[in-house]
Amino acid sequence: MSDPLIRRLGELPAAEPDVARADHIRTRCHARLARQKRRDLVASTPASGRVAPAWQLAIAVLGFVYLTEVIRFALAVYGLT
Amino acid sequence: MDRETELTLVARLREGEADAFDEIYAAFNKPLFTFLIRLSRQRDVAEDLHEETWLRLVKHAGRLREDTRLGAWLFTVARNLHVSYRRSRALEESAAASLFGLWPFSVRETSPFEATAANELERRIERALANLPAASREVLLLVGVSGLDQSEVADICGITPSALRQRLHRARELLAHALDRDLAANPLVLEGVPSCPTR
Repeated sequence: MSDPLIRRLGELPAAEPDVARADHIRTRCHARLARQKRRDLVASTPASGRVAPAWQLAIAVLGFVYLTEVIRFALAVYGLT
Repeated sequence: MDRETELTLVARLREGEADAFDEIYAAFNKPLFTFLIRLSRQRDVAEDLHEETWLRLVKHAGRLREDTRLGAWLFTVARNLHVSYRRSRALEESAAASLFGLWPFSVRETSPFEATAANELERRIERALANLPAASREVLLLVGVSGLDQSEVADICGITPSALRQRLHRARELLAHALDRDLAANPLVLEGVPSCPTR
């Protein structure tokens, strides 16, 4: 820009947020980046490769045992076994 | 920052690298904050908009295009946030206008830069700039302070390059007139300027 008046604007003193505020911004941005990175990592893992948590497996096994026992009991009541 | 470095930083930021963010922050922190504080004329507003701009960058980091121009991206977001802020303020002020109309004295805002300007000439420019309409101030700051080229500034403002040239010309005239008026009202000898003929 050759216009001296506009060039003068570029020579005016710059400003920046105070140190505490700048640290606060960087901390928030780093935290958000880390969160997104974790989320992307989980999303990119194939579904078959993911292991269900142990408590979900335990509930499934107990449910299966319970249902089998109910059916076995019902069949015994009607004398089908 | 050269284009190659910029593209590398964009790629690293897309991968979520905190170090890349720090490098971008170090490069654009000052010009972005300077732009916002001169545009808004209030430090607390500028700080909030500045923080929100950076948060938007990391929020969209994974979706940034590989050829993103970081300066233009950041200044576009900052400018749009300020436009939204002004709109919300305009609604509040129109509601409060009837109350302020009862106040017998005019409230003159002093920009933070005006208060701390190093010399008389800077003080005059800061004062003149702070009193320009926001659209004129915006275009002068983007061209004069941000270091972006005019086609990028036109994109940021959402106008064509020729419309930008017209807007810039008008803004420059307004600034020059404001400086002349200031000089006529306060005919002090400027520090470091041997003679200053009036027009």
